[in-house]
Amino acid sequence: MSWRGVLENIHIAPAASYEMEELLEARLVKGRGIEGDRYFLGTGTYSPKPAVREVTLIEAETLEALARNDPPLQDKPIILAPGDHRRNLTTRGVPLNHLVGKHFRVGETVLKGGRLNFPCKYLEELLGLPVYMPLYNRSGLNCWIIEDGIIRKGDTIEPIDP
Amino acid sequence: MTARIIMKLLIEDIQDEPGAVRVLTLKHPKRPVLPAWQPGAHVDLRLPDGRIRQYSLISDPEDLTRYRIAVKCEENGRGGSKWVHESLDIGSEAHISAPRCNFSLDGSGAYHFFIAGGIGITPLMAMARQALASGASFDLAYCTSLEVPPFAAELHAWFGGRLRIFSAGGAAKRRFDVRAGLPKQEPGVRIYCCGPERLTGAVREATRDWPEGQVHFEVFKPALDENFKPEPFDIKIASTGQILRVPAEKSALSVLKDAGFLLPSSCELGVCGSCLCGYREGVAIHRDSVLPVHARQDRIMLCVSRARVQITLDL
Repeated sequence: MSWRGVLENIHIAPAASYEMEELLEARLVKGRGIEGDRYFLGTGTYSPKPAVREVTLIEAETLEALARNDPPLQDKPIILAPGDHRRNLTTRGVPLNHLVGKHFRVGETVLKGGRLNFPCKYLEELLGLPVYMPLYNRSGLNCWIIEDGIIRKGDTIEPIDP
Repeated sequence: MTARIIMKLLIEDIQDEPGAVRVLTLKHPKRPVLPAWQPGAHVDLRLPDGRIRQYSLISDPEDLTRYRIAVKCEENGRGGSKWVHESLDIGSEAHISAPRCNFSLDGSGAYHFFIAGGIGITPLMAMARQALASGASFDLAYCTSLEVPPFAAELHAWFGGRLRIFSAGGAAKRRFDVRAGLPKQEPGVRIYCCGPERLTGAVREATRDWPEGQVHFEVFKPALDENFKPEPFDIKIASTGQILRVPAEKSALSVLKDAGFLLPSSCELGVCGSCLCGYREGVAIHRDSVLPVHARQDRIMLCVSRARVQITLDL
């Protein structure tokens, strides 16, 4: 697969339901998550659930599609500011749905796609916006951290596995 | 019920009012606009140990640049208000949820009678302003133990002759007479009451023959229920058939959480409405102060309510 993307935003939340906070750089820790994030600390809404969510990613292109109401699944466009979606990393030019089971590089770190993220009613309630249907099948990717390190806003994202 | 975002807001200003009431003005450190709210809404304030206290918003809902809440220091309370008074200062950070509204102006009413006791004035301030702005007919009775209660000047300025202050501690010692002071029951009349149990209990008693939906209460303390003896019961999970035992000393909410169910909850006193759950079979023992009677046939607040023998929950 040939593509090359960029890391547009990094967000963490200190605990479940807390507003996301933007970081310019962050440390990824293998087996844990992003330093300071609720899933690193084990205090996330879904922390007691199995399945990987050390780092969650979403495409900026999805947010732009919601802002255009494309496809028209809701009455009007939905503007989700970066971080409102509650995923950690906002990417551009990265085909997240193709990366289940694949290794890829974000700055100096390596991630592996776990499972596709499902939109949840919890997010809909938290935001007070009907995001459930518009995010269906494009709610991002939950990943494992394979190699630790620092990521920075603007880092390149590129594939490792073919 | 609804999950709400929690924000780290900045305390921009603190003003003290009579009766150990402290008014906090809160703003977001980055966002210019806070989540919208309806008059009567409250926010959760998170204490450092994770406990939650609820405070009504007293600001103008049209101005979303700031929230204002009023916190009365309760010397014999559970510690939350004392913490606010002793630990929060201008420039401090307060962890505040987006607002929730369980108490709002009933648009079908033709005449609104607001009755507040003490700090129970807070949700009624924004509601009465809404009634005023909409040109609705209303009166506000404010019962207080002080000669000059909190917000007296603002309330006079806003409401003029529609405000009556009943000051038990003043020179005139004017007490509100619940029997004589309440409006007569007519289809368009709505009563909104917030205050201590003594006041809400008296209003409840005086209006017990009124049709449901005409008298509304906002309660920030659990209903008095000293004789209640909790009994163990079983929860059946509708989707899986799983049976969970709720011992007498535990709540349904805590048993479900221990069993791995992810359920929203907040006050755990039966007043906020966060842990609402549907049920199908069984006899619920409702002990909350938030569910209206018509919702009690198939919904339950898991934090304080219980059941006889077994209940099947929509989980």
